[in-house]
Amino acid sequence: MKYDVVVVGGRIGGSIASLYASKDDADVLMIEKRQEIGTPVQCAEGTTQSIFKILDMKPDKRYINAEIDGATIHAPDGRAIDLAEVSCENFLDGTGYKGYILDRKVFDKHLAIQAAKAGAEIMMKTTVKDLIRKDGRVCGVVAEHLGETMEIKADVVIAADGVESNMARQAGLTNPNKPGNIGSCAQYELFGLDIDPHQLNFYFGREIAPGGYLWMFPKGEDTVNVGLGVRSTKKTAYQYLNQFISRFKGTTPVELNIGGVPLSGPIDKTYTDGLLVVGDAAGHVDPVTGGGIHIAAFCGKTAGQVAAEAVKKENTSESVLKRYDEIWREKFGKNLEISLKYRNAADKLTDKDMNALAEFLEKNKIENLSKISAIKFLGKHPHLLMLIRDLL
Amino acid sequence: MEYQRYNCGNCGACVAVCPQQILKLNENQVTKDPGCDECGNCTIVCPLGAFTWKVGHEV
Repeated sequence: MKYDVVVVGGRIGGSIASLYASKDDADVLMIEKRQEIGTPVQCAEGTTQSIFKILDMKPDKRYINAEIDGATIHAPDGRAIDLAEVSCENFLDGTGYKGYILDRKVFDKHLAIQAAKAGAEIMMKTTVKDLIRKDGRVCGVVAEHLGETMEIKADVVIAADGVESNMARQAGLTNPNKPGNIGSCAQYELFGLDIDPHQLNFYFGREIAPGGYLWMFPKGEDTVNVGLGVRSTKKTAYQYLNQFISRFKGTTPVELNIGGVPLSGPIDKTYTDGLLVVGDAAGHVDPVTGGGIHIAAFCGKTAGQVAAEAVKKENTSESVLKRYDEIWREKFGKNLEISLKYRNAADKLTDKDMNALAEFLEKNKIENLSKISAIKFLGKHPHLLMLIRDLL
Repeated sequence: MEYQRYNCGNCGACVAVCPQQILKLNENQVTKDPGCDECGNCTIVCPLGAFTWKVGHEV
């Protein structure tokens, strides 16, 4: 078997890469190890409006469970801050408070179908075991389907194989991650919880989600994604989740999702001769929020386009594929770098610090926020001043 | 490390942090090749606690 482009992984990054490579006339095969595109869900399903601009698509009710117009943050002491009342222009990727809760099972499959419509072939229940390399360059994959091993040649392999990042590791582009850089996540889709159907809720605190946070994202009238990510804890994410939802009497889960999110920022190099790396596999995730749908979408699109162009030029060496790395870094590189700095600073925040910050925000709504009030506040909290100094 | 198949949700978090690269996520299970150095990374990141220290290990 031989294709222009083989895409490993059929979620957001993989399907979108397949779609755009196919649109640009490449002969594409997408390989998915699971039996069904979009399952199991490993995502809180919240995203920004920008993803539809990136994909030149109109949002469709079939895969949008809820429209979001605001968010509330809950400090460890229970203080709730409505973000509409404080400055947050950059929240949700510069689109203010507007965003969507997707139905990833439907959305991912929709994207795969778009790729197929553009000409991509898809293999299900097929696990990629190895990269094929010749003279130091990647030129295909070894895959296994129902016990049968096959070699599939390709001019470009796009690795969208998720947090495990096997392909990038085999190509020598990354090493195993440190456990402190992986958000260990568990989530219920919970029935019977009565919250504002257009608001996100975030809970912080060492008792709730150490090293991370808990989210509640409304999924329409009936259910809410209640999930959390934790880091370096003795108890499991699942135990923290059960502990939190025990407060909600009369609710019951209809789905349990788990996953690991890479929070270390992007890998240093996302290309080599014959290979591009996309999405979680490349660390295309915001280290503060753990969100990455819009980043994976942009990177998947760019990878597909650059791969197809390289095939047309009959040059799939790194000198051409490098363009992919340049384009996505220009768009997201700086933001991800800053976000990693913020994450490192936030890691040092104690519950007391977070409560103090929440109290400050509550007292100083955006119109009242002044330099003097900020200086007074920091004078009272030298620990926070140190953290801010680290960020500058 | 001990791996409990029935506690595994096949998410791949353990694969991402295994320094020996002996864990593999297949379609519906994690497989573990020989060569574990008992570093415990997998126990830290597994959301469901599918990895545990061997009996007798002191954390």
